[in-house]
Amino acid sequence: MSLSWLLETDSKSLRSMNGSRRNSGSSLVSSSSASSNLSHLEEDTWIMWGRIVNEWEEMRKKKEKMLKDLVRKGIPHHFRAIVWQLLCTAQNMPIKDQYSELLKMTSPCEKLIRRDIARTYPEHDFFKEKDCSGQEVLFNVMKAYSLVDREVGYCQGSAFIVGLLLMQMPEEEAFCVFVKLMQDYRLRELFKPSMAELGLCMYQFESMIQEQLPELHIHFQAQSFHTSMYASSWFLTIFLTSFPLPVATRIFDIFMCEGLEIVFRVGLAILQMNQTELIQLDMEGMLQHFQRVIPHQLDSGPDKVITAAYQVKYNAKKMKKLEKEYTTIKTKEMEEQVEIKRLRTENRLLKQRIDTLEKESASLADRLIQGQVTRAQEAEENYLVKRELATVKQQSEEALAQLEQAKATIAHPRQQQQPQAKRAPRYCEESVLQLERELVQARLKEAESQCALMEMQDKILEVEKRNSSLPDDTNVARLQEELIGVKLREAEAVTGLKQLRQQVRDLEEHWQRHLARTRMLELETQNQIHSNHLRRAEQESRCLQECVQTLTGQNKDLHVQLQEIKRRQAEIECKSKEEVMAVRLREADNIAAMAELQQHISELEIQKEEGKVQGQLNHTDSSQYIHDLKDQISELKDEVRCLKGPRGLANQTNFDGIHIVNHYVGDNGSYQSSDEDAGKGPGLPGAQQRSGGRIRLRPNIPDTDSEEEEEEEDEEEEDEDSLRLSVPQSHKSTTV
Amino acid sequence: MEAIWLYQFRLIVIGDSTVGKSCLIRRFTEGRFAQVSDPTVGVDFFSRLVEIEPGKRIKLQIWDTAGQERFRSITRAYYRNSVGGLLLFDITNRRSFQNVHDWLEEARSHVQPHNIVFLLVGHKCDLESQRQVTRQEAEKLAGAYGMRYVETSARDAINVEHAFTELTRDIFALVRNGDITIQEGWEGVKSGLVPNVVHSSEEVTKSDRRCLC
Repeated sequence: MSLSWLLETDSKSLRSMNGSRRNSGSSLVSSSSASSNLSHLEEDTWIMWGRIVNEWEEMRKKKEKMLKDLVRKGIPHHFRAIVWQLLCTAQNMPIKDQYSELLKMTSPCEKLIRRDIARTYPEHDFFKEKDCSGQEVLFNVMKAYSLVDREVGYCQGSAFIVGLLLMQMPEEEAFCVFVKLMQDYRLRELFKPSMAELGLCMYQFESMIQEQLPELHIHFQAQSFHTSMYASSWFLTIFLTSFPLPVATRIFDIFMCEGLEIVFRVGLAILQMNQTELIQLDMEGMLQHFQRVIPHQLDSGPDKVITAAYQVKYNAKKMKKLEKEYTTIKTKEMEEQVEIKRLRTENRLLKQRIDTLEKESASLADRLIQGQVTRAQEAEENYLVKRELATVKQQSEEALAQLEQAKATIAHPRQQQQPQAKRAPRYCEESVLQLERELVQARLKEAESQCALMEMQDKILEVEKRNSSLPDDTNVARLQEELIGVKLREAEAVTGLKQLRQQVRDLEEHWQRHLARTRMLELETQNQIHSNHLRRAEQESRCLQECVQTLTGQNKDLHVQLQEIKRRQAEIECKSKEEVMAVRLREADNIAAMAELQQHISELEIQKEEGKVQGQLNHTDSSQYIHDLKDQISELKDEVRCLKGPRGLANQTNFDGIHIVNHYVGDNGSYQSSDEDAGKGPGLPGAQQRSGGRIRLRPNIPDTDSEEEEEEEDEEEEDEDSLRLSVPQSHKSTTV
Repeated sequence: MEAIWLYQFRLIVIGDSTVGKSCLIRRFTEGRFAQVSDPTVGVDFFSRLVEIEPGKRIKLQIWDTAGQERFRSITRAYYRNSVGGLLLFDITNRRSFQNVHDWLEEARSHVQPHNIVFLLVGHKCDLESQRQVTRQEAEKLAGAYGMRYVETSARDAINVEHAFTELTRDIFALVRNGDITIQEGWEGVKSGLVPNVVHSSEEVTKSDRRCLC
C-alpha cells in the first residue's frame, strides 16, 4: 500500500512540476526509479512526509512541534512544492484564477522588471538563457504581483525569492505562494517603498548582537561597521544572494514554517561562528570576509548553521518591544525632520520680513528728516517775515513821527507866518506849498506803509495759520510716536553700531596682536638667522685663528731652522776660511821648508864646489886656469846680478847661489845666459848633455813666485838627487 | 603585506538602476566584465589602490549602491562618510540622465556639513548606436554643476581607470590645499601609515624651517 501511495504522490508532484523544473540544482529523480534509488532512511522520510501531507490539517493543529522539527531537518526536495504551499496555505486561492488575466495587463514596472530579470540567478541554468522559459515565467510572476500590489509594485531582490519558488513549482502556484509570503510573512513591509521594516529588522538584529555578542558589537561600533552593510540582503532575499542555493533552500524551508525569525537566528549564528575572525579585522576586512569567506563556510551543508541557529536566543516579546521602540524613534526622527523643515521655512520668512521692515524704517526716517527740514525752513521764513514786519512798523512809526513833525512845523511856521506874512508872503507860500507837497508825500508814504503793514499783517496771519496747521495735536502725537520709534531704532542702530565698532576694535586688536605676533615671529626667525650666521662666522674665525697659529708656529720653526742653517753656514764658512788659512800656512811652511832645503842644497853645493875648486886649485897651478876661473867667477857674478834683477827682493841670495851652482855644473866652457840655457839644455856638449839633460831651468813663467819656487823646489829636489848622481859624472867630465 | 598608501578616500557610486554601476566598479577593481550579474540589494563594497603620480598611492574604498529609489533610505547613510562620488547615467537611457539632478540633490542634502566631489559619468559609451544623450548636453550639465564629465564603458574598458583616477586626483588636490581636511569621526579621508608623509599644513611649516638653515 505504501508503494502505491508513493507512486500516487509521485505522479501528483510530477504534474505540478510540469514544465518548470529543468534545472540542475534540484534535479528530479524520475518517478519510475524513485523508489529504487532511495536509501532506506530517505525512504522512511518520504513515507513520513507523505503521511504528513495527507494528514496536513491534523498535523498542523495537533503535532505542530513535530512538524517544526521535521521542517528543520529539511523537506525532501520532492515534497517542497506541496509542503510550501501547505505551509502558507496557498492552495485554492481565489487570486490564482486572476493570474491569466493579470498577465494580459501591462504594469508600470514592466520595464524595470525586464531589465532585472536577466540579472536574477544569472548562473542558474533555469534562468541563464535569455528568452528562455525560466526568465519568461519569472517576468510573468513579477508583473502579475506588481499589478496586484500597487503599493509595493516591484522591488529589486524580490525576484530572487520568486525565482526560488519557480524552481520548485509552476508559475501559478509560485505566484500564489509569493502573494502569501508578501502578505503574511512581513515581506511586503520589507519591500515597500519606504522600506521601514528593513530598518526595524536592522534595529532588532543589532540589539540581538549587542545582547548576545557584546564584544563583536563593540568592535562593530568602533569600526563604524553598520548592520546594513552586510545584513540588508539577508533580510530582503532570505540569504538567497549570500549563501549557496542548497543551504538557502533549507533555510527557506524553515522560513516558510516559522517566518522571518529564522533570518535573525541564522544571521546571529553566522556572526557567532565568525566572531573571532571578525574582531581582528577592520571594516574593509570584515566586508571582504562577508563577501568571500562566509559563503564558502556553508559548502559542507546547512545542518551546522541550522543547529547553531537554534542555539541562538530569540525572544519574541523583546522583539515586539524593540519594534515599539523603533517606531517611536522613527516617528521622533520624522517629527524632528518636519520640525527642522518648518523652522527653516520660518527662518526664511522671518528674514524676509526683517528685510522689508528695515526698508520701511529707512523710508520713514527719510520722511521724518524731510519734515524736520521743511519745518526749519518755515521757521526761518517766519523769522524773516517778523523782522520785516518790525522794520516796516518802525518805518511807519518814523513816518508818523515825521508826519507829526511836519504838521508841527507846518503849524509853527503858520503862526510865525502871521507876523512875517507881510514880510515874505511869497516865500511863505512857497514854503507852504513845499510843506503841503511834503505832507502829501508823507501821507502817501503813510498810506503805503499802512498797506505794507496790512500786507505784513496778512502774511503774519497766513504764516501763523500755517504754523498753527502744522502742530496739530494728532499729528504731533503721531510724529512723536514716529519719532520715538525712530529714536528707538536709532538707539538700536547706535547700539548695534557700537557693538560693531567694538567688534571692529576687537578685530583690530586681534589683527594688531596677530601682526605683532607675526612680526615677533619674523624677528625671531631673523634673530635665529643672524645668530646662525654669527655662529658660522665665529667658527670660521676660530678656524682661521687656528690656521694662523699653526702657520706662525711653522714660521717660527722655519725661522729657527733658518737661523740654525745660517749659523751652520757661518760655521762652515769659518771653517773653510780656517782651512784655507791653514792651507796657506801649510803652503807657506812648505815653501819655507823648501827654501830652507834649497838653501841647504846651495850651501852644500857651494861647499862642494868650493871643495872642487880648491882641489883644482890645489891640483893645478896654472894661472890661466886661475884666470879662467876668475873669469868664470866674474861671469857668474854678472849672472847673479842679472838674476837678482829679475827676481827682485823676494829672492834670497841663496836662490841665486843655487842657480849659479846649477849653471855652473852644467856648463864648463860656455857662459850662456841662464835664459838661453834654460831652454837649451840639450845644446851642451854630449857628456854634459847627459847631466845637462837633467838640469834644466824652466823658462821664466811670470807667475807667482810660489809656483816657480814650487817647481824649482820639485826640480831642485830632483836635481838634488840628480846632482848627487851627476856630480860624480861631471866631476869626471870636468877633469877632461 | 599591505601596500603603503598616502591617503584612503571613500567614494560612493550612485545613479539609476541598471545604468551599470556594479559593472563599472567591478571592471575597475577586479578587471573583469560580467555580462550579467545580480542586482545590488542594498550596498556592496569594493576597494583598490591607485597610483596618481609615481610614488603616490591612494587607496579607494568604493560603495556600490542599489539604484532603485526605494533603497535610498538605506544608501542615504553612506553619503555622509564619503569624500567623492561617481554619478552615473546610461547614455542609452534618457531617463537616467534626467534623474541626475535628483541624485545630486539627494546626495547634497544628506552630506551636510561636508562636501562630496562628484564626477559625472556617462556609461555604456560602447553602445553608440543606441545613444540617447549627446556628449555636449552632458558636458553642459556637468559644467553647470561644477564637475567633470567622462564617458566610460565597462565592457570595452574605455576610460574606466581614467574616471576613477581623475576623481582621485581632484580630491587629492583639494586635500593638499586644505580645502578638505581629515576629521575625527569622518571616514571620507584617512591618512596612510607612512612615517615620512606629512599633511599639507605641516609640509608648509617644515619647508619654512629648512630655509632658515
